[in-house]
Amino acid sequence: MFCIVAFVILSILGIFSATNRSLAKEALDCVLRRVTLRPCNTGFDEKMKARILGSVITRSENAARLINSHFELLSWTFFILMFASSIYAVRSSYLFYVTGSCNGLNQTAFCVLDPQGSSNQISGIDETCKVKPTTAADLTLSGVNLTDFPIMNSNSKDTIVMIGSYGCDYTRKAYPLVRELVDKSKASFIYLDYPVKEKTDYLSRVGFCVAKQDPGKYWQFNDTLFAADKAKLEDVSFIEETLTGLGMDSKAIGFCASDPQTQATVTQQLDQILKTNFYGTPTVFINGDPLIGPKPYRVYAIKLRGLWYW
Amino acid sequence: MDIQKIRRDFPLLHNGAGQKTITYLDNACQSLRPSSVIEAINQYYAQSSACSGRSMHRLAAEVTRSCDQSRSAAAKFLNAGRKEEIVFTRNTTEGINLVANSLNLQKDDVVLLSDKEHNSNLIPWQVLSRKKGIAIRVIPSHPDNTFDLEAYEKCLDNKVRLVSLGSTSNLDGTSLPAAEVVKKAHQNGSLVLLDAAQAAPHYKIDVKALGVDFLALSGHKMLGPSGTGILYGKYALLDQLDPFLVGGDTVASSTYDSCEYLPPPEKFEAGLQDYAGIIGLGAAFQYLQNVGWNAIQKQELLLNECITSGIRNLPQLKIIGPADPKLRGGIVSFYIEGIDSHRIALMLDQMANIAVRSGQHCVHSWFNAHQIKGSVRASVYFYNTIEEATLFVTSLQKIRKVL
Repeated sequence: MFCIVAFVILSILGIFSATNRSLAKEALDCVLRRVTLRPCNTGFDEKMKARILGSVITRSENAARLINSHFELLSWTFFILMFASSIYAVRSSYLFYVTGSCNGLNQTAFCVLDPQGSSNQISGIDETCKVKPTTAADLTLSGVNLTDFPIMNSNSKDTIVMIGSYGCDYTRKAYPLVRELVDKSKASFIYLDYPVKEKTDYLSRVGFCVAKQDPGKYWQFNDTLFAADKAKLEDVSFIEETLTGLGMDSKAIGFCASDPQTQATVTQQLDQILKTNFYGTPTVFINGDPLIGPKPYRVYAIKLRGLWYW
Repeated sequence: MDIQKIRRDFPLLHNGAGQKTITYLDNACQSLRPSSVIEAINQYYAQSSACSGRSMHRLAAEVTRSCDQSRSAAAKFLNAGRKEEIVFTRNTTEGINLVANSLNLQKDDVVLLSDKEHNSNLIPWQVLSRKKGIAIRVIPSHPDNTFDLEAYEKCLDNKVRLVSLGSTSNLDGTSLPAAEVVKKAHQNGSLVLLDAAQAAPHYKIDVKALGVDFLALSGHKMLGPSGTGILYGKYALLDQLDPFLVGGDTVASSTYDSCEYLPPPEKFEAGLQDYAGIIGLGAAFQYLQNVGWNAIQKQELLLNECITSGIRNLPQLKIIGPADPKLRGGIVSFYIEGIDSHRIALMLDQMANIAVRSGQHCVHSWFNAHQIKGSVRASVYFYNTIEEATLFVTSLQKIRKVL
């Protein structure tokens, strides 16, 4: 068993050192002999055992004695640990590929492949009146009335619903990826704006008015805002220029946005969005399954199309 | 002898600050080299890298002179009658092979060996036995592995053409009574070849006083460069021998179907020689003579006594050879029953940077005959210190506690 453990470890170390590469070759020879039921007569395990004992003995004679007496048992223990950790490593790699996190979809525990947890970052919403905090398991589209929101590709069997905020960095990271997926898959797409940044909350009303005036321009408006410099979102003149650039009447839109009726309608829409129990942006529902935080493109695509999405 | 001053001459023994200095106890395999030897080699390549004995230009003349000086130094070192009795070889093995292949031994001629010869003094005769039908006769040693003169005498008869023996054993450090051996062989009408690879680095060899016919040694065990050696032969005998290797610089002249060999030693030194090595070997002879044989032997005995007394009582440890360190030169060869010798050597290396040899030391025949898997061999030289010997002992004691 020692040869197998040593082979794996030395192979990894061998990437950085020629000495370890040479030892890895010896270990491989030993492994091949073992698996073909021949004795490992290269002396490799004896050599490595001596080196280990030689290192340990300078620190603790008792530890060296223990290792010498139970070398085979320790080898087996390390082999089992290595085998188990290998399985976990493969599982984690698979989960990272499929969900963007080593621990599974929407799981925020530490992941060595994404140490910053970037695929789970969200801008939390300020909802202090909730009876209990919500989790990913509570997220749902059931009971949420989405009919009043603009929809792109309404005839598709697949549906992507994205809850985001124009001023949220993580939404801004995820939005172009979701749009790319929508463009490629022609899935139905609904964007629900929930302002998590006070200074840009007026954009929800502007967006509503744009959709009301010309539903087709609503998506161009969103695309432009998510592509623009975030700082400009607080600049009303920039929004006016954007609207004018889209061939819209910015004054009429401004009038609509400040209308109390619009405010009331948008508030109703936000109440609908809150029924999803979401707790931060971006949250993307793909055919009803929630993905919280800005995931890599492949994660959205796999959720929609399966593992072989390309 | 100022050991610290001597140690400063050996680059490997004074590493930079913070670096772990090696405790080198593998001198029976090869010794370390002093700066003077390294400089001599460097000087050849840097300042006079040319052929010896061929070209006429000044560089070649300088190399010829330097090589000639090395030959003279070797002759002086062995107290040979004339420098032409010194043949440069690559090592002891080549020297023995030269004799084996040039001596014109015939079927049923007997070559007498001891029971613990290095493979270099065993395999050439085995090959000759298969090729020509010569017979090998093995002299058994005493139970303590010392040379059995009585058994030797019993082995001598009129069929023995050559007595070929290791002067000092690389297995256990024991030396044979060379003068007695040579005397009795000559009384029997046999020639004597001494393998002095382990003897020459440690005590004075006087070939004239011994009367030995041939004697081979290696440079790398006596401070010289690796790939250098010497075969001493009485001039009259060398003159009679046909060369083993032939070719460039071995002949005075040649036609398409014949050649005229040069006299010894040139006829045995075929092809371009290792001039740098030969010059370095000359520097090694000089260095050893400056240190002095008494000082060398005194220091080696001190170290051997220290190691022997420190390890002899460890459980299951058996020292190969006689118990008295005086009879084992600079070698302490031992094994611990049930413990692989390589493991001990590797642990010494890992835990204390101590270099020793483990295994069968090219004396497989002895180990196989005694059914011993191998031994650890610590071999000291004059530049080793009592602190190093003590470190070896304490490290081995620790290992024994663990294994």
